[in-house]
Amino acid sequence: MKITLELTINGERHEVTTESQRSLLDVLRLDLGLTGTKENCLEAECGVCTVLLDGRAVNACILLAAQCQGRHVLTIEGLARDGERHPLQQAFIDHGAVQCGYCIPAMILSAKAYLDEHPAPTEAEVREALAGNLCRCTGYQKITEAVLEAARVMTGGR
Amino acid sequence: MSFEYHEPTSLAEAVEMGAAFSADGRFLAGGTDLIIQMRRGRISPRHVVSLHRVRGLDGIAVDGTVRLGALVTHRALEQHAAFQGPLRALVEGAEVIGGHQVRNVATVGGNIVNASPAADIVPVLLSLDAEVTCVGPDGARAIPLGAFLVGPGQTARRPGEVLESARFAALPPRSATAFLKAGRRKAMEISVVCVAARLTLEEAGERCIEARIVLGAVAPTTWRARSAERALEGRAPTVEAFREAGRLAAAECRPISDVRASAAYRAHLVERLLPRALTRCADRIRGMAS
Repeated sequence: MKITLELTINGERHEVTTESQRSLLDVLRLDLGLTGTKENCLEAECGVCTVLLDGRAVNACILLAAQCQGRHVLTIEGLARDGERHPLQQAFIDHGAVQCGYCIPAMILSAKAYLDEHPAPTEAEVREALAGNLCRCTGYQKITEAVLEAARVMTGGR
Repeated sequence: MSFEYHEPTSLAEAVEMGAAFSADGRFLAGGTDLIIQMRRGRISPRHVVSLHRVRGLDGIAVDGTVRLGALVTHRALEQHAAFQGPLRALVEGAEVIGGHQVRNVATVGGNIVNASPAADIVPVLLSLDAEVTCVGPDGARAIPLGAFLVGPGQTARRPGEVLESARFAALPPRSATAFLKAGRRKAMEISVVCVAARLTLEEAGERCIEARIVLGAVAPTTWRARSAERALEGRAPTVEAFREAGRLAAAECRPISDVRASAAYRAHLVERLLPRALTRCADRIRGMAS
């Protein structure tokens, strides 16, 4: 069954006509060509498909696009502003937190959702916040350091 | 997967669709289990009826009773101000499920209707003597949660009925709850065993008036350890009494061996976790009194 959806993606309104069974992940990757959001387990275990839906982290692989009608989606493509990297992106580069890179877009978005609500987390809180995102290069230490650094930058470098 | 997608905006409309589609339809709440089961091909409904636009299903109301709408998310449970005190087990049960991504969408109603023996919110609700309300073509009916859960993946919900809410009475004074879960790792894990406990002490705090002990993943359904409860009632809330409750529950539970753990290990976990959960309840009651 065909459905037509209105989605605001990275601040831009899109009208998408697609199949009712399409996941948000498939609409992003296949219908809109936004391949920064990755696909892997398709069972909400690995977290690589994480995007922000109305500001909250969700697994796009198990969310029907139809459920996102009229809502705001942020993907990694929408994070930089006017060509300027988000502090999380900059911190991931500065700390060498990226190895193969496959988990990183989702890792950064999960971190963003958490920092938006908890601007000054402890290391333990950052690790808990990222529990739903797996990195099989196991680069967690540098990822955690990068998120803590970004938090410092985002709160004015205290 | 291939299906027709529906978005009713009222409970009446949802019930109408549920009745019309019957076994060909499925209600969709958070979808964190349903979509996975559909993609695996375990179920293939021809109609999916999303409940997320039905008004009033995602509310939490707290007065003499506590009402949780079926679409209340785990995140909402974790963050609700009314659950940070004696009802803390609701937060403890919610915060151990999946990652933030899952807890932001997974619902209380889904956790109940799924009827997994290893569900984490269900034991807490059972320890609170919760009942659920189902709404169908013949109207609404309330069912004690314990009677609603029939077997693994099976409930007393009739075809077409919508699980509308769960509710339970506010706790009497000098009561507290606690929830503990054991898994192979800390996060993103299905329970090997989980324990929900509720304790009410008499005025002086020297005797247990009422105890509820509910265990997950040790039986075909979430399981109440009644003899352990009885052994506590009327006794002083001492470490020895809590250990005895642990021994009784471990001896009576009927876990299975599976990929996650052996039956013997599960019984061992019950014996060790239950005294801890009860101690946590007693400490919380004392903490509130001081």
